[in-house]
Amino acid sequence: MFEARLVASATLKKVLEAIKDLLTDASFDCSDVGIQLQAMDNSHVSLVSLILRSDGFDKYRCDRNLTMGMNLASLTKIIKCANNDDTVTIKAQDDADTVTFMFESKKHDKISDYEMKLMNLDQEHLGIPETAFSCKIKMPSVEFARICRDLSQFGDSVMISCTKEGVKFSAAGDIGSANIKLTQTTNFDKEEESVIIDMQEPVTLTFACQYLNSFTKATPLSVQVQLSMSANVPLVVEYQIPDLGHIRYYLAPKIEDDEN
Amino acid sequence: MGILNLAKLLADYAPQAIKENEIKNYFGRKIALDASMCLYQFLIAVRSEGKQLTDANGETTSHLMGVFYRTIRLVENGIKPVYVFDGKPPDMKSGELNKRMEKREEAQKSLEKATEAGDEAEIEKFNRRLVKVTKHHAEEARQLLTLMGIPYIDAPCEAEAQCAAMVKAGKVYATATEDMDALTFGTNILLRHLTYSEARKMPVQEIHLDLVLNGLDVSRKEFIDLCILLGCDYTDSIKGIGGKRAIELLKKHRSIETILDNIDKSKYLPPEEWNYEGARKLFEDPEIMDPEKIELKWNDPDEDGLVKFLCGDKQFNEERIRNGAKKLMKARGTSTQGRLDGFFTVLSTNTPKRKVDDKKNTPNKKAKVGGGRGRGKPK
Repeated sequence: MFEARLVASATLKKVLEAIKDLLTDASFDCSDVGIQLQAMDNSHVSLVSLILRSDGFDKYRCDRNLTMGMNLASLTKIIKCANNDDTVTIKAQDDADTVTFMFESKKHDKISDYEMKLMNLDQEHLGIPETAFSCKIKMPSVEFARICRDLSQFGDSVMISCTKEGVKFSAAGDIGSANIKLTQTTNFDKEEESVIIDMQEPVTLTFACQYLNSFTKATPLSVQVQLSMSANVPLVVEYQIPDLGHIRYYLAPKIEDDEN
Repeated sequence: MGILNLAKLLADYAPQAIKENEIKNYFGRKIALDASMCLYQFLIAVRSEGKQLTDANGETTSHLMGVFYRTIRLVENGIKPVYVFDGKPPDMKSGELNKRMEKREEAQKSLEKATEAGDEAEIEKFNRRLVKVTKHHAEEARQLLTLMGIPYIDAPCEAEAQCAAMVKAGKVYATATEDMDALTFGTNILLRHLTYSEARKMPVQEIHLDLVLNGLDVSRKEFIDLCILLGCDYTDSIKGIGGKRAIELLKKHRSIETILDNIDKSKYLPPEEWNYEGARKLFEDPEIMDPEKIELKWNDPDEDGLVKFLCGDKQFNEERIRNGAKKLMKARGTSTQGRLDGFFTVLSTNTPKRKVDDKKNTPNKKAKVGGGRGRGKPK
């Protein structure tokens, strides 16, 4: 028997928004630790790693580990049926091929049940090595979303270069070029508004805008975002979900063709 | 053409080996294309009002149209194509080639009849059957590819065999052809429908040989025997043994020799002087060029050369050709998107078990989207 209860269904909506651009189907692994998801997009360029810790739920019970394969378009349909202040309970039997979502209204006068068929999905579990990153940048998530959106008007890719002066985002294309520089700011009153750069070595990497823009769909989950970079390894974009877990995106950099 | 009914057999017995993918997911991959297959496709498919495109002198240009635009489409999707042309056919293929010649003659006769009767639909049907890729077509395609900066290779013998060798040597990622015998030659990854027109919205079918062998539960040697039993281009097969029985027999006896020792020969008569050993040898050790010696190089397109070649007698539209050349050029300038596969290691693959007899579990993607399947095996 699996049961997980979350008072704010809005969080669940936001989590789904944050992954449905990249994935069409996803396998949620449920265990004592919580609900985990790890999946690459179809082209194997980006990876989503999500954890919702069991202690973040109002009630969590998982007798046996189980994997629930879901079609995210179908899941979205169901989650849309919930009001933001509804309490949501996810339930599944140990060997069932369906999962049930129960939404309770705040006044406890309305209870809705939605049952969804589960899927059998092929999936690969990837081992992600621990990397000591050369640069870590913390900034307001809204700022990052804005930068990605603005720069994607200029070209398909964004170059992120981090030096001790600060971090520079740049793009170039047919109409011209764009550069955005951020310097370290510390705002002790409002820590979430500051830009913090932790740099061991300068790094410059290029990434596809399309994926960065998909990552920023997680912006409503967290006021801050952390970017971690090292030369020749994937970028990590991390959003903390307050009191519940985190969502991390990995993105393979663009590489210059050396053969031609 | 290829192996009789192998695609169908795989769909039934090893559905997990067949994946469908969008063309844009192959960016950055080097892919070997079977040139004769492509040219044939283009001669059949690239038509206007049922007739092949021709230049001022009545010479066909459908194949050039196809090579030009479909190659640009591949390049725009970030794919690095290399075309592989057939060399001389192996001696053992003469039987098959004679059969094709007979069919062609038949079609020619039917065409004459249809022309007499004035039956448009029939005329078109037999016209298509008469399509043949000539040396001249291939030569023009080579010229065009050189101008486009796309490499090509002249295989000493069968193109599929050469492609397979290149995949095995890691020179290219996959072989693109419709012929299933590329698998028999040992290509690890076979792509089908890659050069179909965009308008058909056909996803690319990706077939993995290791998953095929796994799904069928046979070794590579046994797989070759299975293909010979199903019917290949190089020798006849036993009458009355189709896909289902072939796989049953092979799983039981594990080789053509033991099958021959055990079946009722009055019921299933093997062909006279059946040279299955020759065919087997051809699949195992085909005549190829050493893939290590092949150097693949993609160059800048020669815009003026293309215009000169295509827009003179061949009457292509100059503006379109120049645009095409610019597209090729642009695609060369951009950096390639990396993949995560190289950075992370696969810890475990959880491939759900599918039962062969379960109708729902055939690799029909539509069924998958509907989400009507059973849940994954609990750990």
